Amino acid sequence: MSSQKKRTLKIDAFKHKVEADPKFFDKSWKKLEDAIREIYNHNASGLSFEELYRTAYNLVLHKHGPKLYEKLTENLKGHLKEMCRSIEDAQGSLFLEELQRRWADHNKALQMIRDILMYMDRTFITSSKKTPVFDLGLELWRDFVVHAPKIYGRLVDTLLELIHRERMGEVINRGLMRSTTKMLLDLGSSVYQDDFEKHFLEVSASFYSGESQQFIECCDCGEYLKKSERRLAEELERVSQYMDAKTADKITSVVDKEMLSKHMQRLIHMENSGLVNMFVDDKHEDLSRMYNLFKRVPDGHSTIRSVMASHVKESGKALVSDPEKIKDPIEFVQRLLNEKDKYDEIISVSFSNDKTFQNALNSSFENFINLNNRSPEFISLFVDDKLRKGVKGANEEDVETVLDKVMMLFRYLQEKDVFEKYYKQHLAKRLLSGKTTSDEAERSMLVKLKTECGYQFTSKLEGMFNDLKTSHDTVQSFYANLSGDTDGPTVSVQILTTGSWPTQPCTPCKLPPEIVDISEKFRAFYLGTHNGRRLTWQTNMGNADIKATFGGRRHELNVSTYQMCVLMLFNSADGLTYGDIEQATAIPHADLKRCLQSLACVKGKNVLRKEPMSKDISDNDTFYYNDKFTSKLVKVKIGTVVAQKETEPEKLETRQRVEEDRKPQIEAAIVRIMKSRRVLDHNSIITEVTKQLQSRFLPNPVVIKKRIESLIEREFLERDKVDRKMYRYLA
Amino acid sequence: MCTPVKGRGRVRLNVGGRMFETTAATLASAGRDTMLGAMLDAAWNNSDCTVAADEEEYFIDRDPDCFAVLLDLLRTGSLHVPPHVTDRFLCREALYYGLLDAVRAARWGPLDGDRLCLAASVPGTATGDGTAVRAAPDGGLCVAHGGAVRVYNWVLEERRPVNLHHAPVNDAAYLDESTLLLAARDRPGGGGGVAAFSALTGDLTHRYRVSHDRQVRPFTPGALAFDPHRGNIFASCKGRFNEYGIGVWDSTAGEQVGFLYEPPGCALGDADKLQWIDGTGTLMAATMFPRTDSSFISLLDFRDKNGVAWSWSDVGTPASSMEDKHVLHAVAMDDGQSLCVINQYDDLGFLDIRSSGNASGGVRWRSRSKLAAATRKKQKRNAPPQRAHGEEETCYPKLAAHGGQLFASTGDAISVFSGPDYVLTSTLRGSDGAGAICDFSIGGDRLFALHDEVNVVDVWETPPAPVI
Repeated sequence: MSSQKKRTLKIDAFKHKVEADPKFFDKSWKKLEDAIREIYNHNASGLSFEELYRTAYNLVLHKHGPKLYEKLTENLKGHLKEMCRSIEDAQGSLFLEELQRRWADHNKALQMIRDILMYMDRTFITSSKKTPVFDLGLELWRDFVVHAPKIYGRLVDTLLELIHRERMGEVINRGLMRSTTKMLLDLGSSVYQDDFEKHFLEVSASFYSGESQQFIECCDCGEYLKKSERRLAEELERVSQYMDAKTADKITSVVDKEMLSKHMQRLIHMENSGLVNMFVDDKHEDLSRMYNLFKRVPDGHSTIRSVMASHVKESGKALVSDPEKIKDPIEFVQRLLNEKDKYDEIISVSFSNDKTFQNALNSSFENFINLNNRSPEFISLFVDDKLRKGVKGANEEDVETVLDKVMMLFRYLQEKDVFEKYYKQHLAKRLLSGKTTSDEAERSMLVKLKTECGYQFTSKLEGMFNDLKTSHDTVQSFYANLSGDTDGPTVSVQILTTGSWPTQPCTPCKLPPEIVDISEKFRAFYLGTHNGRRLTWQTNMGNADIKATFGGRRHELNVSTYQMCVLMLFNSADGLTYGDIEQATAIPHADLKRCLQSLACVKGKNVLRKEPMSKDISDNDTFYYNDKFTSKLVKVKIGTVVAQKETEPEKLETRQRVEEDRKPQIEAAIVRIMKSRRVLDHNSIITEVTKQLQSRFLPNPVVIKKRIESLIEREFLERDKVDRKMYRYLA
Repeated sequence: MCTPVKGRGRVRLNVGGRMFETTAATLASAGRDTMLGAMLDAAWNNSDCTVAADEEEYFIDRDPDCFAVLLDLLRTGSLHVPPHVTDRFLCREALYYGLLDAVRAARWGPLDGDRLCLAASVPGTATGDGTAVRAAPDGGLCVAHGGAVRVYNWVLEERRPVNLHHAPVNDAAYLDESTLLLAARDRPGGGGGVAAFSALTGDLTHRYRVSHDRQVRPFTPGALAFDPHRGNIFASCKGRFNEYGIGVWDSTAGEQVGFLYEPPGCALGDADKLQWIDGTGTLMAATMFPRTDSSFISLLDFRDKNGVAWSWSDVGTPASSMEDKHVLHAVAMDDGQSLCVINQYDDLGFLDIRSSGNASGGVRWRSRSKLAAATRKKQKRNAPPQRAHGEEETCYPKLAAHGGQLFASTGDAISVFSGPDYVLTSTLRGSDGAGAICDFSIGGDRLFALHDEVNVVDVWETPPAPVI
């Protein structure tokens, strides 16, 4: 920048002085040398800065820069060697203190020496690209003090020893540690790294490798994690107290590796205290500790996740396949819900709501719930149960939350159409028997299903609600029309649209003449107002209130339509055989048996007497009007013996119906796909169909193949003539 | 009315026998790393009690006249030099006190194209034409003349000239104020290539070699560029065996770190202008008329395998739309979004480098203002007579961008364009009869214009702000 003037000035200077005094350099240097000694001896007060500066200036001006630099280097070396000796002589714990004291002295001296030689720094050193005076002093300190053979090893050992003692719980002089590491940093980050950090990390690795071995032998998983966590925090604190901030990541990665990575598998699978046990015992604190610690380890979270997934699958599988536990569907679903709640809580409390964990949990639930093909039925039964007695103990909000949770389970179902089937049945039963307690809860469940599966899924269910409403209106207007003629029984008719309801075709039974009379009037009224409709009586689904007298005691009996037909027979006879009843009512065999059973064999509700007395109904039994019937209640509800859960044959039947219903859906999907694609190979069709339908159920490839064949037969599709695996759409 | 307070913070100086009295704060404002700052530092004054220190006077064995100037500089921040104090004298004293940087900073202000004044002219001594002028970061300069480069410090005193076996110099560049890089033509006997010199002493410090297949090969470097952040040096290279491309070296290690061979259809080895564009991390390489018939500009990304990140060429542009316009010079603008080019009619044009070269619609030409055209004619009229019969020497226009302003040399003047639309705001016309400007360079807050005729270099700087 400016050394150029120096050169031109030199010419002037030469003329008067330099040649005149051959000892010019030696004299000047002597002055500077003495000053430097005084500075090192803390005796600088007598020195004149101006004089020294001028002396150094003149030396540089007269081209003695190289020589001055050389002399300075030598001189500094001499001083440093002296310091080195006094540091070496320091005993024990005084060693570090002496080193620090000398380092402070040296720093201060360097500052002053640099002041004196500032002119050299600016001119000679810039143009000759040498190390500036201050940096030179640091370099020499590094080479002649820190790297001195008797100091180097001792320094590193002392530092590491102190750290070890601190790790073992002793209190050490952190200030001294801090100033020592700062000295190494001042000498350059490579000095700090090579001379201290490298050794520190090595020693730490072996320390933690030993300690973790010891811990893992004697601690359980939770305790081990607690200790690791504490160690990590300690190391971070240590770095913040007396090391370079860049060391933090390095030392924690050492601890991570030694204490966590290396023992991860063993910790997670530790007997009696590993991850699975934490799940079982709901150890939220331990779990969150594990989550946070293994975040630091490669594959840590994925390992936790896979262990969690397999544990959930495992225990879920046990739950859904245990024949004891699936006896009670309500209990079964409640268990599922409890399981779900448990893991939801773990994820939200301990796993900081990690999305990947949620996904793993969902797929595990999906996996095991579908292992049991009765899950859809059970879930529907559970909803049925909640909606029947929902409002009884619980307020609406509770029902709502339960329903929301059930929807979670519903989402896991692959065979949503099966659920729909059952739900329809259960809903029909609830609606027809008037047992739904809360219309609102029903509706809200419908809305949930609708948002989950779309309009199509619930349209029929909604139809059912509408039917009931219109029926109510129709019956009212019927009675308004019938005014005056109020003798005889009243009927309440529910007109069910065919297709919306899960009705089975049944041969209507013979109704008692009073009922026939009024129902024919209704038929006439209904068909009169609605053109072109057909009305069939579903006698298997209704119920009736009848008044009866037993030895003077009046009771009101709530019975099913079938039971009513049977009881009405006893208006004209006291005793009837099974055969008589069957003939008179034409009730199907199985239904009749069930209804007689509930009339004659249930204790406290035995309005009929059976001979011979037994639990089961046989074709030769005779039934009598039981005038000894007593009850504390005026109103007696006589339930039909119904199997809530489906029996085996019923189950098969439902399954069959479901399969039957799926056929057109699969076909429709195939046609939709082929219509847009025109030509497609077999495997792609299977994938696309599966994709389209998976919101409702998981179609079986074999079934799809059959449907394709059926469509080919009906000439919707044809096989490609060349490639038999390709199908073509025929418009 | 002031209450006389004894001593407090006051310093008495005896400089060469004259007494000065000032405050410690004034002297400390020079900085701890100056002679005056160190002298007052506690490390040198911890001897006795502070009262005594107030009584004390410092003796400095220097010239009082010059000290007065420098003390005034410390007090006011501005430089007032009485006529009897020469530049050399002032600088020598300033160097003694460590105040040279302060003196330089006070001499001229930050470069503003619209406030430039002709501060000095450096007479040319070399025979032959100057090829290039380059500004040093500290305000010094160098001029390449044929086989040598003349170096001047910022006081415009000449230093030792630099040469590389006197091979013709194609380009020069400052790596820092004390290191000068030279690109010299390869000759059969050897001697050309790229080399670094100490600008202070003129000594050769390093030669940058090019190896192909691990064999050092001679080459002719064309243009030079420097990326100060990564410390990379770039040169367009023509090897003897048709190894054309851009060589890359690490300036600290001095080793070749890459060589981008010129892909087909790209002219790189011939490039006559390289410029490192910091914002985009790319190198602009421009090969232009008259070196080649058609101009080719590309942006090179050395982090990319492909190398060429953007390119533009006037090859294949319909002749009618071109009107025979040749792009003669190019410069990347400070914003890192566009390039500016100039043609032989002194028309400015812009290229958008954010969208791909020829797809962006090519050069948006802007017709110049009448003023500039008039300048050109006037210059022709005023051209010295010897020029009329002489060799047909043309000085092609050059461009530079600095601080949001655009500078273009046309004829014997430099036009300054400012604002977002680059409107003409100033015209700089320097030494009379010095002839056309063949190159100019901006650096260290100075503008140097090299005139063709007598090789004189005009130095333009922004004067310090007026006092009132």
